[in-house]
Amino acid sequence: MKYSIRSLQDIGEVKANLKAMLTSAKSPEQTLEMLDRIGLEPFVTEEGDLLVRIWSVAAEDFVSREQAAIIRAKKATSEKSDDLDWLSKNLTAIRGQYAGEWIAIYEGKVIDHAPALPELLARIFEFDRPLITFIPAEPVTWTFTYAL
Amino acid sequence: MPYKDFDRIVRFHEVQQVPPGLSVWLPLVDVTLITQTGSRINLPLLFDTGASVTTLRAEFYSILGLQSWDQGEKVQTATGGGMADAYKYIVTLEVFGKTITCPIHLNNQLPSNPLFMGLLGRDTVFNEFGFGFWENAHELYVTGNP
Repeated sequence: MKYSIRSLQDIGEVKANLKAMLTSAKSPEQTLEMLDRIGLEPFVTEEGDLLVRIWSVAAEDFVSREQAAIIRAKKATSEKSDDLDWLSKNLTAIRGQYAGEWIAIYEGKVIDHAPALPELLARIFEFDRPLITFIPAEPVTWTFTYAL
Repeated sequence: MPYKDFDRIVRFHEVQQVPPGLSVWLPLVDVTLITQTGSRINLPLLFDTGASVTTLRAEFYSILGLQSWDQGEKVQTATGGGMADAYKYIVTLEVFGKTITCPIHLNNQLPSNPLFMGLLGRDTVFNEFGFGFWENAHELYVTGNP
């Protein structure tokens, strides 16, 4: 889930939530992990301060919906590592390790796995757009005819 | 001859097979499914102009808030292996940067493949785009403004 900020009041609420989060985390590493998961990009300065990036609306109706789709598609490709590409390149190793299981991949690594899909999804709900796939235990046929 | 312009290139994904040297290139598309709870998951789908409707493995019923995969509208589909039952639902997908509400079929006879969880088919989704397919270059070309 990503924060959606529309006003200074919203930013105030986010900061209050962040403060609570910082208090509840058991270590700085855990704090950074939690911030990453909710889409607030953390940055630790040389002085040891923690900064987070919070998006706010700068201009409504900035571009048309058509232009937005093009921009978003290009940005998504460049920002998020290509998990599908990573999966195809590492398929042999992944099949050896997770045969018969559902797996979730996020930013080039398997973040969780489970024999049933609902079980997996219940554990990874805080990740935004993880790649979900099933690794069959049986041999895979790579030549096929579909047309459903 | 009309000139077609595209704004996005989707590279096919290469799968190395055994024996080494044999490889298969698949036109795979990373599609975001918005679940019943509003969370988003990415599913790899095979780009399939032969699929009338986007089709997912039956197991995905749970993330659509369903109790079973076969509680929707029953439809008969022709497959490579003969006729098969599928069940129709309406979902919201994010495809190539656009959010699209479209019909999907759940099907329990899709062969298991680790690189795709279903087929990206034509109904509604393809209306939003123009496509160019270049097999030798292993590239799919897409425009969101056909």
